[in-house]
Amino acid sequence: MAPPARYCVPGERLCSAEEATAGSGTYTRHGFIFSSLAGCLEKRSEDGGLPVVSVVRDAESQLLPDVGAVVTCKVCSINSRFAKVHILYVGSTPLKSAFRGTIRKEDIRATEKDKVRVQMVPISWCEMQCPQTHTKDFRKVARVQPQFLQT
Amino acid sequence: MAAPELLSDEGYRADGRRPAELRKVRARMGVFAQADGSAYIEQGNTKALAVVYGPHEMRGSRSKALPDRAVVNCQYSMATFSTGERRRRPHGDRQAGELALHLKQTFEAAILTHLFPRSQIDIYVQILQADGGNYCACVNAATLAVMDAGIPMRDYVCASSAGLAEETPLADLSSPEEAAAGGPGLVLALLPAAGQIALVQLSARLHQERLEAAMEAAGQACRALHAVLDRVVRERLREVTALMGD
Repeated sequence: MAPPARYCVPGERLCSAEEATAGSGTYTRHGFIFSSLAGCLEKRSEDGGLPVVSVVRDAESQLLPDVGAVVTCKVCSINSRFAKVHILYVGSTPLKSAFRGTIRKEDIRATEKDKVRVQMVPISWCEMQCPQTHTKDFRKVARVQPQFLQT
Repeated sequence: MAAPELLSDEGYRADGRRPAELRKVRARMGVFAQADGSAYIEQGNTKALAVVYGPHEMRGSRSKALPDRAVVNCQYSMATFSTGERRRRPHGDRQAGELALHLKQTFEAAILTHLFPRSQIDIYVQILQADGGNYCACVNAATLAVMDAGIPMRDYVCASSAGLAEETPLADLSSPEEAAAGGPGLVLALLPAAGQIALVQLSARLHQERLEAAMEAAGQACRALHAVLDRVVRERLREVTALMGD
């Protein structure tokens, strides 16, 4: 591998804010760009305008879900008002530790929000079943209607 | 009045150092593979270990999550074997709580927390051997650990203690020098590049005219420490890129 251009440490002054734009791993202060990570300096030239200066580390830093991000989640618990999910991927990068989220029933569909119904029918004293996908969920149930009872 | 044995007639301290001389520093980053970042530092006989996790989702109460920045959660503990007599309680005592709060305030000033809203960053420090300058060793170890974890920071945070022997300021106090009867002890945590002070603490009493000399001695010690820590970080960067390149 080619030797890296330059190592930077946090607090190191890289250049003035007029010569380049601050990218990831840097911050600006008093008209200068400083490094905020310990890594390798990278200077990329943008098509129209100033080059972008950023500091990269070999290991990717933890990506956090942010407003507007597209995430892949797995539902871990569901009830009639909302579903609880584990956020596993942000974009296409997997997260080291799953974040928890909630999807309310009003947020499931953009239109006809009132008509969304999360349907789970109790089939025995400890199981509920979705009428469409027929997947079973273990849950303590108070009373089962006789026509649904499966013992 | 400072005890006469702090500084001999030839100008040497009890452990043979000059007044402005720091103790020998040995540091290593990345000592634990499981944690996001970790570091170990030895300053003379004081040994401190720091481990960093994060940024990750708020554990515990979600209501304490801040909407615009990350919460820095610190814990300070001393191993039971760290002092001359075996300690009973490693965490719960008041001194540990106070030092943990100081660490939290120091690192909230240095870490760019606004990049991670609604998250938590955990910094755990443990003193394995206490010989003066406990808080300072913790700050220095935690700085290296946070850098190892790849969490963006404004600058290094370097901490050092300073005291006075009659009129001469002493830098980097060891345990017998800290315990010297009535002697003032100044602790300074500095962000060296900008010269910004993250924390300053004074115990006992100090005459106003002596304050500047003591602060200057502590500042010089922090800058010297910054040079040492910088070497450690650059060495680590070379080591990591060499490993990745193979």
